Amino acid sequence: MKKPKIINKKWLVIFIISLILITFSFLDEQKSIAARTIVLALSLDKIEDEYEVGVQVLKTTGEKQLQYITYFSKGDNVSDILERLSYDTGSKIALCHATVLIVSQDVLNKDNDKAMNFFFEGEVLCNNTMVVTSKQSPREVLAPTLSNGIGSGYYLGQILHNMVGDFGIIPITIKDYFKNKYHIGKCVYLPCVSLENDDGTSYLNITESYVSDGSNGVLLSENATKGLSLVLNKLSNGTLPYQYESSVGELDIVKSKGNIKIEKDSEKAKLEINATLKDNTYVPDKINEELCKEDVDERIKSYIEECYTTCKDAGLDVFYLGQRCYAYGNDLYKDPDYLDKIELELKVNIKMK
Amino acid sequence: MQNKLNNKIYYEQFLLMSFICLVTFKVVMLPQYLVKTAGNQSFLIMFFLIAIEIMMLCVVFGITKNKSLLELDIPKWLKGAFAILIFSSSLLKSAVLGSEGVSYVATSLYANVSWSFVTLAIIGVCIYLAHKGGKVLGRTVQIFFWIMIAAFVFYGVFHNANLDPVNLLPLKISSDLAVAGDKCLMWFGDFTPLLFMTARPSQNHKKINLAIWIIIAVLAVLICTVGLMIQFLCIFGASGAVVGNAFLNVSSLNKIAFMIGSVDLPTVLSWLIMCVIKISLLLFAMAECAKFFFGDKALVSVVCGAIVYAIIVYGIGNLKTSYVLATSWLRYFAFFTEFLVTIAAYIAMRISDNKKQKNNASQPQMNKEEAYEKA
Repeated sequence: MKKPKIINKKWLVIFIISLILITFSFLDEQKSIAARTIVLALSLDKIEDEYEVGVQVLKTTGEKQLQYITYFSKGDNVSDILERLSYDTGSKIALCHATVLIVSQDVLNKDNDKAMNFFFEGEVLCNNTMVVTSKQSPREVLAPTLSNGIGSGYYLGQILHNMVGDFGIIPITIKDYFKNKYHIGKCVYLPCVSLENDDGTSYLNITESYVSDGSNGVLLSENATKGLSLVLNKLSNGTLPYQYESSVGELDIVKSKGNIKIEKDSEKAKLEINATLKDNTYVPDKINEELCKEDVDERIKSYIEECYTTCKDAGLDVFYLGQRCYAYGNDLYKDPDYLDKIELELKVNIKMK
Repeated sequence: MQNKLNNKIYYEQFLLMSFICLVTFKVVMLPQYLVKTAGNQSFLIMFFLIAIEIMMLCVVFGITKNKSLLELDIPKWLKGAFAILIFSSSLLKSAVLGSEGVSYVATSLYANVSWSFVTLAIIGVCIYLAHKGGKVLGRTVQIFFWIMIAAFVFYGVFHNANLDPVNLLPLKISSDLAVAGDKCLMWFGDFTPLLFMTARPSQNHKKINLAIWIIIAVLAVLICTVGLMIQFLCIFGASGAVVGNAFLNVSSLNKIAFMIGSVDLPTVLSWLIMCVIKISLLLFAMAECAKFFFGDKALVSVVCGAIVYAIIVYGIGNLKTSYVLATSWLRYFAFFTEFLVTIAAYIAMRISDNKKQKNNASQPQMNKEEAYEKA
């Protein structure tokens, strides 16, 4: 006769596993989300030999009002500073939801990526955390509350996340930053942010870029930044102005892509921009397509040349020509002065839709 | 007898398990290790070794469609030798690959949770699956197959990364490829657990269907390993040498990630399932080998799991030690055991089959003579 089963083996195993997990989850140091300080944006500066890290957090007050609070702390290494900030904020700092990291130009040029490595190799930040630099100190950009009532750091992160594929600045994540650092020339480009004040209205301006190779850097103007964006970004948004005879207007960028090729035994880098544009006026018959194309062609060339010359004068290989030489089997990259030897040949192909 | 029945699986389940065996741990830390040594061309060595693995799986299938390794008509001492070799190589692999899985859960899914809790949770489930045998493993894979498909569809539809094919150039075959392949042998040759199963056609089995499924499985393996490696290189370039958890870092770059944060749950979920099944398969191989000597007892599976737990938690404890162990001379032992045992088992099976055929051929001849004499 079969013995009656008191308990099913399968359920017993499930029960034991659940019991172990639940018991350990109580013993574990992990805190619930409520007991953590979620950082929205952070800043990193190097003042003399010390780092200064700032974190912007969102706190709700008793009246259900949102309050952006920014904490700052200094120290010899980032890990210790974050510990101290955890103490200041009253709960463990969580950086995994930070939308943006604002680094100072000093960190980019004098720190040899020590602090940046902490964020990258430790996978402390999320994959889509943007990295920017600032004209003012990162503290000045991160801390204020803007006229729209939103914390500056958090607002900056939101703008950057919505600008992917847009014309102008190129949003850079921490992983992009290191990808570019591993290219020959070690050049990185970042959006450069400044906090502007106009008649008591404070707002963020992100129209310029900063390029650095770890030891020296250069600020690109708005037009040069557009040139950089046209070469290195795949665009699907934005407008390009035109002016010929008495006609003035703007063309929409439908799509645009830059392509650089360097042949094996050549010293010429062939840069080709293929852009599809569309007239955004309601009376398309009125524009002269040929003249319009000519004007836009010249503009694009001037943007790119400004970007390239500014960086080349500072010894920065912003278009990664050395890396492309390596990729296409050209030994020119081995020459320390390869940037001076390579000649940039620019071609713009515009299609009107 | 019960044990024999427990390890009978269908061809489709065999294909799914082969996919998991080949893919699971080649998409986590391996891309980083390969890029570190072979740079931009590392996808070539991945392709080469995967191609060899797929060919070896054909040999494994040749064995399992007849009988499982321990049921073959070969001398018992040879079975014992195979069991010892597979036990040791599976132990090594489960320690190295298991610690990779544990490290992923402990550091990437959670923020530095103790390894002992994570290992306990994973190994606990794996011991259960391993003890239940190939049939349960096959069924589990079949059930979770749809989650994997959903993750792939999600990934395909929402993937959004800036791919730069120039990162793959220049295409050249250098000695670095051989060095990278040699260093990372531990991550290749993961098919011996399948030798303990018997594959048979399902009830609604059709030859054409199976051929299509084989082509799909081979393509899926190539896309998930070599394809991912190419994508990884196109996204991260040479900086891939410092980017761990390849599948996570590639899959988290999706369209939704830029709107509401990183949505990598489907990929994480499907990989975790693959990880549990893969470790279960290794534990299953260990348990089957141990059961050959100590009999079919649940305690044998538990002891095997406990050994792996102790090695991962107390012996390894972190990813660096795991890498040191994986790249030590033991990698040659694990790699060659996987290949040698499979080839040796196939040869032994063929010899035994030939002997049988000869016996069978001579048997009816004698009967004829006997019949003639009688007449």
